This record gives sequence, structure tokens and C-alpha cells, in this order.
Amino acid sequence: MEVYLVLCFICMLPIPAKSITTVDCKPAINESLAAKITINTVILQQPRCCFDNLTNLPCTSNTCEIWLVPAVDTGLSTFDANKASSAILSLSPYPTAFTGSSPANYFLTKVGLQSDFPCVSPSPGGYFRVGADGACSTTNCNGFLPQGSSPSFKYLLVDSVNKTVLAETKWSDSIALYTLKDPGTLGDGFAGRSGAMVVITTLLSVAAAVLLLFLIVVLALCCCGGKSKGSGSVVGSVMGSFRIPRYDTHHLKDPAPYDNPAYEKERKYTTQDTLPKTKATSAVNPVTQDTIKLQKI
Amino acid sequence: MASRGGLTWLMIIVILCNAFAAAAGLALFALAIWVAVDGYKLYPISGVSGKDDIFAGAWIAIFTGFAYFCTCIFGIYAARKQRRSLMLAYLIIMFIIFIFECASCITAATNRDYLVGNSNVVKKQMLQYYAEDSTKGREITKTWNKVMQDVECCGTDSPLDWVEYNSTFRQLYGTTYPWPLNCCKRLSSFEVADSQGCIIGQTSTMFTRGCFTHIESVLSRYTWAVSWYGFSVQMFVFFMLLIAMVYFTQLG
Repeated sequence: MEVYLVLCFICMLPIPAKSITTVDCKPAINESLAAKITINTVILQQPRCCFDNLTNLPCTSNTCEIWLVPAVDTGLSTFDANKASSAILSLSPYPTAFTGSSPANYFLTKVGLQSDFPCVSPSPGGYFRVGADGACSTTNCNGFLPQGSSPSFKYLLVDSVNKTVLAETKWSDSIALYTLKDPGTLGDGFAGRSGAMVVITTLLSVAAAVLLLFLIVVLALCCCGGKSKGSGSVVGSVMGSFRIPRYDTHHLKDPAPYDNPAYEKERKYTTQDTLPKTKATSAVNPVTQDTIKLQKI
Repeated sequence: MASRGGLTWLMIIVILCNAFAAAAGLALFALAIWVAVDGYKLYPISGVSGKDDIFAGAWIAIFTGFAYFCTCIFGIYAARKQRRSLMLAYLIIMFIIFIFECASCITAATNRDYLVGNSNVVKKQMLQYYAEDSTKGREITKTWNKVMQDVECCGTDSPLDWVEYNSTFRQLYGTTYPWPLNCCKRLSSFEVADSQGCIIGQTSTMFTRGCFTHIESVLSRYTWAVSWYGFSVQMFVFFMLLIAMVYFTQLG
């Protein structure tokens, strides 16, 4: 009876599945590339040196495959719950991974053989582009990630013979994809006034206004007649008539200059240029016109 | 009489200032021709946006520069003749040209602020019109292709402009190319050096800086040529006209 019970216990104990080793590796973005994150693709660093320290594997490095799991939101926990299953590779096909009423939110895609990623890379600049296949429809294709989501990634070591997961890395940090912005949101209104524009506008406007003002004043003063202020002394000699502004009268005892009231300024008297050139009219020196020298004609 | 000597000095000053202003006006004429010719071939960026008054200001400056030259030579003649009617005609013509040149300076500076005050206008134009099949689209595409190849740049502020924003280019080619192939380095045979590397953004195979600094510096260069040099000519002409007005009042 006890033997039967013990046997029953042994039967009821679930046969432990070979546990999946978690290696101390975390997928990361390849920072040196400009297109590392777009709205639906991500470029990751290759899984080098992640699975090379494992022993007791049923496959060799030429037959072990490395797969990638991109997962969004609930997909992380859903995958972790299902990862021990032997049909894990086809449990969530890519076309339906993110669609439907309760999507699985993860999919698996093959990266390559373990021998493709030796620890010391022969050539630098290795990368793996998630989403390279675009909008594809096979079960494990490398299709676009959902736009604007924040996926996390995990590399897996898969046995190519019975398609089970042997080892996995840790989940990466969630990487936020871009959401497409509409260029109409770029405000192209008031971009600010540069200092140069303000200076030029104000100074030129003031200069133009001042010029206009002075022009009007000058025209009013000079062309509309009347007494003019500060027009200075008369240019040109006044000759040919005895309209002299002031002159000395030599008959007085204490001579004082006599201001001639008949003299009118600003009248157009004849000038030296307009008089006929005879000895009589050239007798008076225009430079010293205020003093009259009597000369023999 | 001292006043007569003073008048002669004033006449000489007016004549010399006019000679200098004639030379300055001719230089303005030449500089404005350089701007209007647009050696950097960036006119479509302002033309498509509808604010091309940098070039309109240059055209006005061509005419005012030459008009300054001719009128100042006339001014030398008028000052020498010492006749009020000639000086008055000179003053009025100079004032009219002054007003036009003010308009040119102000409008060039204002439009520059609108276009390249920040990168939004240029970026929006690039996203909307690059690869579009319309007249404006073809002009913008040609201009940007030339700029990207000559200046070795991509996008307005950076290549990420193509990635972050929706654009006509993305609608047409976005599944294959994140940015135009003109962003990629080319061999001397004009083939793309590494198109796969360019698509994923390897910095050694593509240009990673933005084109806006170049566009902004060229349009600013045009604007300062028309605006600031025009402003300096205006200031000189302003003081010269004040002296000419004083001379005018001194004439009999």
C-alpha cells in the first residue's frame, strides 16, 4: 500500500522539464547607427559572447540557432509563461501577434546560427535590424514592430532539432519607437525679430521722416517768399546802382556809417556778369563795394 | 566776404560727398546684382514659400543704386552751377530714391527673419515638397538634392527629421529608404558608396549634419548685403542731403 502510494506520488510529480538557463546578457541598441530607432524598426547589437559559456547543450554551435523575441507590454509575461513549450516557435505567428482582441504581443524571428556570432567579431560594426522584412506574412518573419510602441527584446538559444528553447538572455530595456509627427504641427508663424531688422527699420524710418520734414521746411522758407531767417548775406555783387546798404558820409565831423533805407535786400539787382563790360561799370571794385572810390572816367 | 568763401567751401563739400555717394551707389548696384543672380541657387526655398522679398529688395537696390550714381553726378553739376532750380530738382529726386532704398532694406531684413528665423519653415517645406510631383515639388527636390550633395548634409536639423516626421518622401519611398539617397556619400563615379550602410545609418557612409546652417548662412549673407550695405549708403546719403539742403538755402 505504501509502495503503491509512493509510486503514485512519483507518478504525480511532474517530470521537470529541462530548465531554461538565463545568461547575463541584455540586448542593446547599436548606438553608432543613425537609423537605430525609427517608427517601426530597431537596430540591435548582435548577440556575441552571450551563449558561449554554456555547457551540456544538445546542439553544437553549428546547429544551435539564435532567435529574437520582440515583445510589447503584456507580451513579456505571456512569452515567459509559454517559453518552455515545445511549440513556442509557432505559438504566436507574426501576422496575428499584435492584432485581434487579445493579441499575444510577441513574436519570434530567427537571427542566425550560433557560429555566425563568435565572441571576437572578425569585422566590426555588426548589427541586427528588427523589422527588416517589412510587412511580411509568414510565421517567423522579421516584420515591422507596431508603430509608436515600446518593445523589449530577448535573444534565445534554440535547439534546431526539437525546436525548444535552451537558453535565453534577460529582457532588454523597453525601447520607445518614434510616433510619426505631422509636419503641419511645425509652427511657421512668428519666428522672432532679429535685432538687425529692428535697427534698420527704425533708423531708416526716422531718417526718411526727418528728411521729408527738412525738405518741406526748406521749400517753405526759400520758395514761398517772405522774410527768411538766417539766409545769410547776399552773394554776388550789387553794382550798377547806388543802392548801397551802408556807406560813410565823409562830410560829418564824427562819421558814422549811414544805413540806407532805400536799400532793399533780396531784390534782383544787376550783377557784374550781366552788365556790359565798359570802363565805367568796371570802375567799382565789387570786393570793396561798400567804399566808393571816385575815379576819373 | 567771408560768406562767399564759405559758400565755395560748402560747394566743394557737396561736390565731394556727391562723388563719394555716386561711387557707393554704383557699388550697391553691383552688390545687388550679385544677390539677384543667386549663385548659391537657393531661390526656390524662398520662392515656394511666397516670401521672396530678399530678392525683390535686391532688384529694387539694383535700380536705386544706379539711380544714386546718376543723380549724384547730376548733383555735382547742380552744385557747380550754383542754381537753385537745379539743386531743388536734385534734392527731390534724391529723396524719392531714398524712400525706395529704405523699402528695399526693410523688406529684405523682414523676409529673412520669416524664412530663417528658426528652422520650422524650411523643414516644413522640405517635408512637404521633397519628392512631390508638382512644379513646386520639383524645384524643391532639385534644390535640396544640390544642397545635400554640395554641402554634405542631410535633412534640416539632422537626418532624424526624415524619421520623426511624416513627409511626401516617406509616403512614396518610406518602406525602403528612411531618407533620400542624396544623404549618402558617393564615389567619384557618382554611385552611392554603400547603400545598405546608408539605409541603416552608418555614419561613415552618410552625411549626418543638418543643412539648415548652410541655408541660413547663405540667405543671411544675401540679406546683409542688401540690407546692411544699403543702410550704410542711406545713412551717408542722409547726412549728405542735409548738407545739400543747407547749401540750397545759401544759394541766391
